[in-house]
Amino acid sequence: MPVKPVYNDFFGPFGGRYVAEVLRAPLDELEAAFKSAMADPAFLDELALVQKEYIGRPTPMLHARNASKILGGAQIYVKLEGLANTGAHKINNAVGQILLARRMGKKRIIAETGAGQHGVATAAVCAKFGFPCTVYMGEVDIARQRPNVYLMELYGAQVVSVKSGSRTLKDAVNEALRDWAGSFADTHYLLGSALGPSPFPDMVREFQAVIGREVVEQTRGLDVAAMIACVGGGSNSIGFFEPFIDAKTPRLIGVEAGGRGPGLGENAVRMGGDARPGVVQGYKSYFLLDDDGQVQDTHSVSAGLDYAGIGPQLAYLGQTGRVEFASALDTEVIDAVKFFARNEGVVFALESAHAGAVAIKLAPTLPKDKALVINMSGRGDKDIFISAKIITPEPWIGFLRREVETYDAGKK
Amino acid sequence: MKASLMTHMVAGYPDYETSLETARALAAGGASYLEIQFPFSDPSADGPAIQAACTEALAAGFRVEDGWRLVETIRKECPAVPVFLMSYASIVVTKGVEGFAARARQAGVSGLIIPDLAPGADEGLYEAGKKHGLAVVPVIVPSVPSGRLEAILALKPEWVYTAIRAGITGTHTTLTPELKAFLANLNARTKVLAGFGIDSAQQVRDLRDSAHTVVVGSALVRIVAEAFQKGGKALVGREVEAKVRELVG
Repeated sequence: MPVKPVYNDFFGPFGGRYVAEVLRAPLDELEAAFKSAMADPAFLDELALVQKEYIGRPTPMLHARNASKILGGAQIYVKLEGLANTGAHKINNAVGQILLARRMGKKRIIAETGAGQHGVATAAVCAKFGFPCTVYMGEVDIARQRPNVYLMELYGAQVVSVKSGSRTLKDAVNEALRDWAGSFADTHYLLGSALGPSPFPDMVREFQAVIGREVVEQTRGLDVAAMIACVGGGSNSIGFFEPFIDAKTPRLIGVEAGGRGPGLGENAVRMGGDARPGVVQGYKSYFLLDDDGQVQDTHSVSAGLDYAGIGPQLAYLGQTGRVEFASALDTEVIDAVKFFARNEGVVFALESAHAGAVAIKLAPTLPKDKALVINMSGRGDKDIFISAKIITPEPWIGFLRREVETYDAGKK
Repeated sequence: MKASLMTHMVAGYPDYETSLETARALAAGGASYLEIQFPFSDPSADGPAIQAACTEALAAGFRVEDGWRLVETIRKECPAVPVFLMSYASIVVTKGVEGFAARARQAGVSGLIIPDLAPGADEGLYEAGKKHGLAVVPVIVPSVPSGRLEAILALKPEWVYTAIRAGITGTHTTLTPELKAFLANLNARTKVLAGFGIDSAQQVRDLRDSAHTVVVGSALVRIVAEAFQKGGKALVGREVEAKVRELVG
């Protein structure tokens, strides 16, 4: 069997390394280090050990029997990636890159984060491996994701509030790039999604592919009709899909954020939506841009899917048709969270519930002897401040109010 | 002899009229070249001052069409001062590289500075520049590996922009003898534009013999910001012109 390259640079017309000259040398250095590490059994052995004893791999595969029965079609299986340490798949990539950074002799780590899951994973591995860590996070995201800021600081990271542009994920990426342009000699930029200038899309896919490889083992004997994952930048989906990309089956379905519905600014649908090919933040892909090329604001109930670009490999696989794209509305996502909580005792992250929502629609159309695998890329504990005020608004707001009152009374 | 100075400004900042007034003042103050930046939503190679200006210009409604109008107006009023257009890949690629270059030439632009379309990853920009008689200006850093520098110079660029400090625009740069030697060597082979972190007349004097032209960016953008807040368009014109006079010496 031919060995698949760990480094591609371009995926069809997408990908590449569109960066200012100053970042070319550090990216060349990173590419060389990544290729050499991936060919070194000692590096791969240590990665496997950390995956097992720190992340908690392999993560379980749940046969969602109740959900399957209620929906009355294909058997639903849920890859419980949210049971990984720190609560989401993001840790897989963080561990891989921190080991690489140590191998490269770097002394400091920087990262961007949107919802905060990647920031939390990065802060955690920096604590474990003894690196000072700076996480750039948009001011808007800091305000709405306080629990993750708390966790990052608990792990010892410095969280820097980004006040430029739209003050969200894309601006955090810009700020991290600015830091790196002046600090690359001793600093590794631990990028969290399968996008950005090469080699990041290839590197993040390889470190996330552990998900897909476990799925191969865990679905032996099943007739898998489709695999479904949510797609923000695309790190969980590309890792989940990776071992299946070169085969013709099963169907691979990526689910984007349908938000409040159609219209620029109302969702984060890049494939089949209003997006156009462009070059932004160092790579070529589909982006939500206006006709001047300005990056547009996006909306999703899940902060992790709220990004204007999509990883270049997914853009290409969408173009070739190997990956099908669907979207789920905010309201369908909340319904999916409730459905799996009540019937399976599993709380999906809002991001991952996008995949759940599409599975709920697809399962009844497929025969009972087929299987459908959902990647629950994260668990929903982190969303409590968002989902609780939607699902049970009054008691939740009452609780928050009493908490503040108790705190204020204690101060007097 | 006065220094050859390229001054940077953001089109549409803080609004169209004031940016036109800024361009006039830069020319009146003695700038040899104008570098006009078309704002982009995600200017990741720029520091806080320019980045904030881009965000404000876009919030004020800047469109690429306004940028062309600004360039055409200032070219008509000050035909002796060549205009270089700085922007990012997204703007150029979305408009179509070939079409963007043609439109720039038509508007009277002399050169394009697009830092994230570097030689070899330029989407055909260098070819389009050649075709339309437009200089495409590579942006390099002094730490550039020599093989890479030679590959860039093999394109025979008329100008090379050297960002003389790793990192972003807008923080004060210290000029070392090594840096000056690097610039002087390069300047013997092409016309060097040297910028990033130049904010004083002293620095301009220090650099003028090592480079063809010295670029001042963030320092001027900060003056526009402060003057506009204090006294609106009229004060912007006066203060910008005074600062350029001081820088040129």
